[in-house]
Amino acid sequence: MQENLNESKSIYLQIGEMIENEILRDILKEEERVPSTNEFAQFYRINPATAGKGINLLVDEGILYKQRGIGMFVSKGAKEMIRNKRKETFVDQYVKTMLEEAKRLNISKEELIAMISNTEEDK
Amino acid sequence: MSTIIAKGINKKYKDTNALKDVDLTVESGKIYGMIGRNGAGKTTLLSILSAQNPATSGLVTIDGEKVWENQKAIDRICFSREIATTTPFGPNTYKIKDYLKAAEIFYPNWDKEYAKNLVETFKLNPRKKVSKLSKGMLSMVTIIIALASRAEFTFLDEPVAGLDIVARDQFYKLLLKDYEETHRTFIISTHIIEEAANLFEDTIIVKNGEIYTNENTQQLLARVQMVSGSAEEVDALIAGRDYHRVEQLGNTKRATIVMRPGEELKVPETVTVTPLSLQEIFLAVCGEEVEQ
Repeated sequence: MQENLNESKSIYLQIGEMIENEILRDILKEEERVPSTNEFAQFYRINPATAGKGINLLVDEGILYKQRGIGMFVSKGAKEMIRNKRKETFVDQYVKTMLEEAKRLNISKEELIAMISNTEEDK
Repeated sequence: MSTIIAKGINKKYKDTNALKDVDLTVESGKIYGMIGRNGAGKTTLLSILSAQNPATSGLVTIDGEKVWENQKAIDRICFSREIATTTPFGPNTYKIKDYLKAAEIFYPNWDKEYAKNLVETFKLNPRKKVSKLSKGMLSMVTIIIALASRAEFTFLDEPVAGLDIVARDQFYKLLLKDYEETHRTFIISTHIIEEAANLFEDTIIVKNGEIYTNENTQQLLARVQMVSGSAEEVDALIAGRDYHRVEQLGNTKRATIVMRPGEELKVPETVTVTPLSLQEIFLAVCGEEVEQ
């Protein structure tokens, strides 16, 4: 959890996204325990209620599950769930903004596709 | 669950109305942030809530019992404010340890061991005279008394005002640790809003002797947003709404809109909506009287 919090969006959404990122990067593995609300609160100097709200969002989505008296754990299949969820927002968040900017710069569809495949090769 | 309720509080000093018909409910188990401009009435309000200062009119109760001149109620509240370095008779020659000793008598839940640890954490010399303390050291004493009081309702008046960033961070950490263990209620007034905003479950904004809002911080952040776009579009959007801080640059206009809780803002695609930090919200709603 090395990222810093910023003000561009709600803190609890950022906490949720950070946990998701850790799961996608295999830093947090399925069936592994997630830090507690209080651990998050003290690490980021935020109110535990806010941290709890972020964690509970992921519980509601089934990405994490609660084990009474022990803590929160990463669900089986959590990675897949996060991927599917993020694919849905990918078009809105990235593709549409890219197309808008491309339009402003008069970049054609062919040019754009060429740019994407060239960038891919460079990596 | 315990609650402190203030109803119809007025406070008059000679010809100024420091507080005007203030109603406020403080619920147990929360960290509240209290923000307001200098002279808005924060300290007066905290001192009335803790029965250190009488209200001109109105009533403060804790779980239905009046707080004023009620030792049982007062025992549950700690209002820690900065100690004055001078007295009417000259410099304050009491030592830090004298204040800690007095606090031990004053607060029934006083945690001596905790106070001792905090003195060490802040590297204070308990034999030092109050008149010889720096601004930062005075803040540290305020914090030590507040935390070690272990009072069910603990109010801190600008506890970080004199502290450097390292000590402020240390305080935020100590506060959260204490809150994890005790889950008691804190009200913390501060001018360093940017740093502390995320610590506050609820935020109380005091404006000109009145409560502008007392609500969940995340809710407040969600319902105040900045819109920017062409002057015509922004004018159309703010018409009939609670709006603040209208500024124009060329033909681009921006304004801060305060929505009702749960309300969503529908804007044309050409208008940009930006969320604001608590500090920016404060600037928008409390900064107007200085403009123009």
